[in-house]
Amino acid sequence: MRKKECIAMLLAGGQGSRLGALTSRIAKPAVAFGGKYRIIDFSLSNCVNSNIDTVGVLIQYRPLALNAYLGTGAPWDLDEQDGGVFVLPPYATQAGGEWYAGTADSVLKNLDFIDNYDPEYVLIISGDHLYTMDYNKMLEFHKQHQAELTVSVIEVPLEEASRFGIITAGEDGEIQRFTEKPKNPDSTLASMGIYIFDWPVLRSALQEDAANEESEHDFGKNVIPMLLAQRRRLFAYSFSGYWRDVGTIDSYYEANMDLLAEKPEFDIFEQGRQLYSNANIFPPHYVGEKAVVQNSLVCNGCTVLGEVRNSILSTEAYVGPGAKVEDAILLPGARVESGARVMRAIVGERAVIETNAYFGSQDKEQPIVVVGDNEHVADDLWSGRY
Amino acid sequence: MAGRIIGLISCNYNDDSFGQLTAARSLASLPFGGRYRLLDFAVSNMVNAGIRTIGLVTPYFYRSIMDHVGAGKEWCLDRKHGGLFLLPGSIFGPKSEQSSFVLRDIIKNRSYLERTRAETVLICGSSKIFNIDFRPMFAAHDAAGGGITMLYKTVNDAQGQSGTYLEVSGEMVQAMTREAAGPVNCFMDCFLIDRKLLLNFCEWYRNFSHVDLVDIINDNLDNLQVQAFPFEGYLGQVRNISDYMRCSQDLLNLEVRQELFGNAGQIRTKIEDNTPAKYSGETVVRNSLVPTGCFIEGTVENSILFRGARVGKGAVVRNSVIMSRGIIQPGALLENVICDKFVTISSGNKLSGTPGKPLVIPKNSEI
Repeated sequence: MRKKECIAMLLAGGQGSRLGALTSRIAKPAVAFGGKYRIIDFSLSNCVNSNIDTVGVLIQYRPLALNAYLGTGAPWDLDEQDGGVFVLPPYATQAGGEWYAGTADSVLKNLDFIDNYDPEYVLIISGDHLYTMDYNKMLEFHKQHQAELTVSVIEVPLEEASRFGIITAGEDGEIQRFTEKPKNPDSTLASMGIYIFDWPVLRSALQEDAANEESEHDFGKNVIPMLLAQRRRLFAYSFSGYWRDVGTIDSYYEANMDLLAEKPEFDIFEQGRQLYSNANIFPPHYVGEKAVVQNSLVCNGCTVLGEVRNSILSTEAYVGPGAKVEDAILLPGARVESGARVMRAIVGERAVIETNAYFGSQDKEQPIVVVGDNEHVADDLWSGRY
Repeated sequence: MAGRIIGLISCNYNDDSFGQLTAARSLASLPFGGRYRLLDFAVSNMVNAGIRTIGLVTPYFYRSIMDHVGAGKEWCLDRKHGGLFLLPGSIFGPKSEQSSFVLRDIIKNRSYLERTRAETVLICGSSKIFNIDFRPMFAAHDAAGGGITMLYKTVNDAQGQSGTYLEVSGEMVQAMTREAAGPVNCFMDCFLIDRKLLLNFCEWYRNFSHVDLVDIINDNLDNLQVQAFPFEGYLGQVRNISDYMRCSQDLLNLEVRQELFGNAGQIRTKIEDNTPAKYSGETVVRNSLVPTGCFIEGTVENSILFRGARVGKGAVVRNSVIMSRGIIQPGALLENVICDKFVTISSGNKLSGTPGKPLVIPKNSEI
């Protein structure tokens, strides 16, 4: 195989347990977002737009939807002769089988894959973040500073800093301290979980970490602190722009709703920006005679016969006559039958809000409610009428 | 069964009655239904029937067709075995001849027919709009012992319309006429023919290669076994600009949409990776089709928008078709208008045609 300068390892094995019903049957990177995307589309599109044509996708938790979605990689132009997208699950060996024990362990178990391409650099990214980034610029920075590891960082508010891996860096960007989820953060530079390693450095660090029985085999908790203690050349690359880890229902809901702004902060509509996704071919959506659609996103294959306001209708969603959908997200194939009402809610894939049923509440104090994929909400006098 | 059939789609014909809409494209690549081109129906029908070897006879202006079908990826036709074959068509004569299946286009591409083991060829035009499950027709062809099987639909509204009409009795074609009166069996530019018979035609008529295959069949009706197979579903016939508008508006009817896009099989087309359609807070959209990539801030009624169309604040689009990347600036008003691709209508313009005679704004115009 031809030598590659840089390949990407995309971590997509996590459950995203705080997303509750949304990830009960699919992994977080496979969760639908913004109407026609799945969360993994954003990091895959970043790879393609940064000319990285070889991506190993590390999977573990409920991988069926993700596998089916990735396919040959063709929708992202990642069906390459020499490279492309590779789904890398845990596997059995002569010594038995093991799950991936942590982010670092998952990469370690795929040394063979990386060795095949004998890259100079390995980019480690997550499949569950929303952002647009040109990894080439980060790689440029990595080379300029002759770094062995570059960590992409973003400024976060001090009160939120204890949720992140916090970095203290010198003027030139050299990392001095790295603390995972500090109680009393002394810096507001947060790691985005995006790393560029010199491949030989990563290779030996992973093996060293594997030998440490106390390690949790996690990049943030173990590998980076270990390299820092060894006084290797670690640099922080400052990224400014939109970046979200939609870890909870609330943040997932808000990130979706932010797209409705006239000029969204995460501007997927920006001219010249190319976002790829694996979309089925559906006809244009139909808006009926008596329908109202305002301040909303609507995808192909939808039928809107009722009223839709401040909402996101994913591919093939249906809103029946007399139904009202407000401040809600209908995931692919969701149905809101005639006369039903949905407010401040997330309706799962192919889930059904049955005729005349109420779901959700207009009360902004109430939490966002979620109905899981394929579930039904019946017309029930007590089902949350406000 | 489908493995023994290869497809042949003719795109090498045009029609003067479309004016600017087909000035630089064949009828086959005329955009339709918000994201499709007319050709998509023929190709998708074949693919949905399991056919994986399809020859496309290209028209003289083939840029837009090539741009659209590429290697046939969206139709699963980028294959090792079989796939999409581009068959260069001859330069056609007067457009008004309306000849869809000129024999010389097939003679020129004889190797396509010779290098296959398929027994049967499914030949289709590229301008009729329908979604069919071909399998019953294949079975009927087999049951009749092969020969030729022509697809038709009985219609009542063909009076005065040019076309080929079949006289059918006992499921056999008895005669063909060019003129329609009352209920008639309209030939849908689609037939199955034994490959060897087709190659024989190429041989026998090699000195008369300007004739149309359908005329050859007509001349030999007495000596051939020509079955007729009825189609019951929706048939969109696009013969001129007002037909085009009528067929576009037909899509606003739920039953037509279900027949064309819901039941038999998916109609596939080129994928563009557009963002979802975005509606602002003041939009009024009624009885319309809107694909991805659109931005709507104004009013859209009884209309079909294509990918990337924009309707500005206070702009009104009624009974119209706005093709890809059409920009209707704030305050403009359009009624019974067909905007070809990449058209900009600036603020303050009021453009209108009539339902029977829609106003056509040519590609790339700025008004």
